[in-house]
Amino acid sequence: MSLRTLLRHETILALVAVVLLVALAFQSAQFFTGANLLNQGRLMTEVGLVAIIMTFVIITGGIDLSVGSILGLTAILTGVFWQNLGLPLMAAAGLAIAVGTFCGFVNGFVITRFGVPPLIATLATLALYRGLAEGISQARSVRGYPDWFYVLGQGNILGVPTQLWILIAFAILASVLLAATRIGRSIYAIGANEVAAFFSGLPVNRTKIAVYTASGFAAALAGVIFVSRVSTTRSDMGTGLELDAITAVVLGGTSIYGGRGSVIGTLIGLVVIQSLKNGLSLAGIKAEGTAVLIGLMLIGAILMTTAFNKRRA
Amino acid sequence: MASNFEQQRALEPYVRLAGISKSFGPVKVLKDVSFDVRPGEIHALLGENGAGKSTMIKILSGLYQADGGVMEIEGQPMRFATAKDANASGIATVYQELLLFPELTVAENIFLGHYPQKAMGRIDWTAARAKARELLDSLDCHDLHVDTRIATLSVAQRQRVEIAKALSHKARILIMDEPTASLTEKDVTRLMEVVRSLKARGVGIIYVSHRMPEIFALADRVSVLRDGMMIDTRDITEADEATLVSMMVGRSIEQLFPKGEAKIGEPVLDVSKLNHGRLVQNISFTLRRGEVLGIAGLVGSGRTELALTLFGITPATSGEIRVKGKPVSIRTPRQARDLGLAYVPEDRGLQGLVKSMSINENLSMAALDRIAPGLFLNFAEEARRAVEAVKRLGVRARAGIHQPVGELSGGNQQKVVIAKWLETRPDILILDEPTRGVDVGAKAEIHAMMSDLAAKGLAIIMISSELPEVIGMSDRILVMNNGQVTGMIDRADATPETVGGAMTAQAKSKEAA
Repeated sequence: MSLRTLLRHETILALVAVVLLVALAFQSAQFFTGANLLNQGRLMTEVGLVAIIMTFVIITGGIDLSVGSILGLTAILTGVFWQNLGLPLMAAAGLAIAVGTFCGFVNGFVITRFGVPPLIATLATLALYRGLAEGISQARSVRGYPDWFYVLGQGNILGVPTQLWILIAFAILASVLLAATRIGRSIYAIGANEVAAFFSGLPVNRTKIAVYTASGFAAALAGVIFVSRVSTTRSDMGTGLELDAITAVVLGGTSIYGGRGSVIGTLIGLVVIQSLKNGLSLAGIKAEGTAVLIGLMLIGAILMTTAFNKRRA
Repeated sequence: MASNFEQQRALEPYVRLAGISKSFGPVKVLKDVSFDVRPGEIHALLGENGAGKSTMIKILSGLYQADGGVMEIEGQPMRFATAKDANASGIATVYQELLLFPELTVAENIFLGHYPQKAMGRIDWTAARAKARELLDSLDCHDLHVDTRIATLSVAQRQRVEIAKALSHKARILIMDEPTASLTEKDVTRLMEVVRSLKARGVGIIYVSHRMPEIFALADRVSVLRDGMMIDTRDITEADEATLVSMMVGRSIEQLFPKGEAKIGEPVLDVSKLNHGRLVQNISFTLRRGEVLGIAGLVGSGRTELALTLFGITPATSGEIRVKGKPVSIRTPRQARDLGLAYVPEDRGLQGLVKSMSINENLSMAALDRIAPGLFLNFAEEARRAVEAVKRLGVRARAGIHQPVGELSGGNQQKVVIAKWLETRPDILILDEPTRGVDVGAKAEIHAMMSDLAAKGLAIIMISSELPEVIGMSDRILVMNNGQVTGMIDRADATPETVGGAMTAQAKSKEAA
């Protein structure tokens, strides 16, 4: 896997994104306005945070299906810690994020310690964490947060949605971590050949646990932002989020078999999906039509990567 | 008259190859090879790894198609497009890695793909089981039940099922690829009886093996392949071991293995009563600076398992390891590496390299701390080291250090694995089959490199299945069998007989006990 091939997939996808943006701009006058684009950024943040770390997870050859449930659990806990336990909201949110992060750690621990395939382990915790969220919430929602809390999900800093700043910072950090550090290199090596990585003395299990823990953290952070954006907590928040995140990652050129992928690809994938959803709905196309189109694009992206790999093999 | 006619017929080859050639890309693996097998003949096929034996076998069994030359079955030109064609022409193969389905029964495996059928394509299980029983009985395997699942059988039993399967295709020629490589002494004797009974029934056998005693005990004729060429075919009565070896290798052992004199220094590794499972039992030895310690043994004798235990992949359950005099505990490869051990594993593609990654990235993999003292990778330093390593070890790569290692030849891949471990500046280098699947030129380079490293004070453990390599390169040879040490032989006393004898020695002492 060389840098050239990586760039090729992402360059093509970026071109697709540009063409898409231009085409959508012609479809609807509202689409290509600053206000609309920034608002789309706001809507994209939660999936974005999760998808960035999902990129790491998938590069190691794993998958994390439990992120949507972790998001839901964190959201519920934020409300419960604040309202029922009477903690200051800041502490309540912090504690909820800590719990969400721990949920991620549990995924990593189960996968490495007991050798459970990530698909199975996180399928189990998807049910487990969602069940916990529903049990704790008792179908009640928590509302009426103090005004300062809404700055996170509904406010702007320097004219840009607050959470978009967080996403940008997160993306930069993740890109650097993946491309230029020891842990990033280990992540690629583990995904490409776990046995050889282990035989080379790389800390395989520790790296995997770290990655799943980070995935839990990203989902938890997204959960708090979600609560702030929609002003309420419900136990079904984030249902299906994992699939949106995985779609963006795979569309962005990350191999589902591991060993290959990049944060920038995932970001472009996110932009493509979000602008399709928004642009097509502005152009008056129903959501079902958008879903079909995204499905087709995903198949196209996978065929494209497979074609590249065949030529290399 | 009749007997004369019979004799005449027996001398006519059943299958004949003439002028066969085969290339993979630019590499010519077979050059103008001619070969034949007569009915009722055991024809031994000898050659080093990479000599072209497997390619020739695969052409005979329909897996590969020759680029040039002709194949004749009973005098008729024939081309096999698939393995099924070869089966239909009476050629069956028993591969080294037995290709049975572990979850199916003996009878199911034997008739897989050509089950006896009843009306409307239904499988006639009664007939299948009865015929399977008949076949096994004809091989004197009365103890093998046709309804047993393959997974529960021993290697030797599975092999008999494979042979029965071959016979179910009404094989006239049976190709056996290193059939005794993973068998115990007792099973080898039994297999040889089976082979002889097949011969008596008029089946021609191509017997691929490295083991001289078996060849001399069984074969009628012997052919030697080297570098894709058929060196010679002769009657076994006109061959002796020394000539066969020199035909295989092409030059004498001394020329091939240039182990130089190295100053043997202080002990760096002391292993005492090391245990892990069945294949590492009570192993004790000492390794010194500048020394090459060869480890010899049959497949399954515990050679690789010992290396895995030393390197912390399957940590020792008891026993003591001392590195430079200090008692240590090695539970992971990471700890082993930090103690100055390096392990070049047996399976290069699976364990040694990340094939999709570049030479550059593979070279730094075991020594990432050196190019990333903090969190960040120093790409300039990484590239500088890679360029240096590639030059020093003579790794040939068209696209330089950024070429994916999967695109390199076997020999160059192996050099990358060795270079990767040298980057960690080890004191102890364990090489597991360092020249397997490597061409003759690269092999000599790897041997020269070992010699050089030993001269610089590195202590080397070399595991090898090739006796000439072990004998030629080692200062001392530790011989294993069934997970135990059965001999420690000094360079001066090392001959194929002494080492080979020790390789099977323990089984005898066990029988005596």
